[in-house]
Amino acid sequence: MSTDGCAAPAGGVPVTAVKDAGTQAVVQGRVTQNGTAVPVGYARLLNTSGEFVAEVPLGEDGGFRFYAAPGSWTLRVLAPGNVRAERTVSADFGQVTDLEVAV
Amino acid sequence: MSRSDVLVDADWVEAHGGDPGVVLVEVDEDTSAYDKGHIRNAVKIDWKKDLQDPVRRDFVDRAGFEALLSERGISNDDTVVLYGGNNNWFAAYAYWYFRLYGHHNVKLLDGGRKKWELESRELVTDVPQRAKTSYHAQDQDQAIRAFRDEVVAAIGRDNLVDVRSPDEFAGRLLAPAHLPQEQAQRGGHIPTAKNVPWSKAAEEDGTFKSDDALRKLYGDEAGVDFGKDTIAYCRIGERSAHTWFVLHELLGQANVKNYDGSWTEYGSLVGVPIEVGDAK
Repeated sequence: MSTDGCAAPAGGVPVTAVKDAGTQAVVQGRVTQNGTAVPVGYARLLNTSGEFVAEVPLGEDGGFRFYAAPGSWTLRVLAPGNVRAERTVSADFGQVTDLEVAV
Repeated sequence: MSRSDVLVDADWVEAHGGDPGVVLVEVDEDTSAYDKGHIRNAVKIDWKKDLQDPVRRDFVDRAGFEALLSERGISNDDTVVLYGGNNNWFAAYAYWYFRLYGHHNVKLLDGGRKKWELESRELVTDVPQRAKTSYHAQDQDQAIRAFRDEVVAAIGRDNLVDVRSPDEFAGRLLAPAHLPQEQAQRGGHIPTAKNVPWSKAAEEDGTFKSDDALRKLYGDEAGVDFGKDTIAYCRIGERSAHTWFVLHELLGQANVKNYDGSWTEYGSLVGVPIEVGDAK
């Protein structure tokens, strides 16, 4: 990804999770319901004041990924049928924070 | 200008999306979202392939826009209803772009693709076949597009609204948090800019907040002076198109421009002033 766009990765978040964060503070994960991926829905990243920072559609495997700043974040999942879930996560440069969110 | 002139809801789209003279257009950040499923009768515009010059950093020219709309089967007198994901981020950008080339009969589906999906409304994969048209565009309306010299001149004089996240405004991040961060330009913001993240104008379901809530957000809370001209910017001019829509189309502010060069241009300019740190 470069300066040419604000675009999300084509096809949503790649199915293969990143293993190495490099210099990024990565927060990623997968949303499931009864053990099955939730392919339609949205993951939102909120700061410690509860303010929205970013949102991605879930990938076909229920996956999502953010490149955050170091610190504490709230991850909120929205899916059809008034499904909502929240997790608190922390992020740091060079670190991948993996989440499994069962809704 | 009122909400009913520029917004439609999902029930309206279900009732009228197939009417003659109505064209639904999906414009998404994730340009493959349309291919996985879209609202019945909707055509797709790819914000990157279709709307950007492939070589220079600029938009397609007037002839290119005419060719695009003609190929998609859009006529000058059609009502174009745009929608997309992520609070209509890129759909609002396309709205501004249609207005830039003089198409005035354009509306957004309030809540966009997200609200539609969260309500489990129908998505189809059939691509509609629309007969080609001979679309005629106007010259760009420079009253709604700002260039860098105007932005520098506006420092301390007009409203500058930086609609990026607080971390980008402060210089801690160079891109939104769902994108990798490697960038060449400097971090920070244009001096005197107010920071009102674009997404604050939207409810969680992607619909726009009420006019009263929006006036309070920009005016009372952020200190935007509604008596002055305004330039909105972000990183590449797409989030700020959403804010342009709010200020110009919903709140009826007269002189609002979107600076599409935005931070990737400004933060790379030699010699211009930059401030870092959180909003004061």
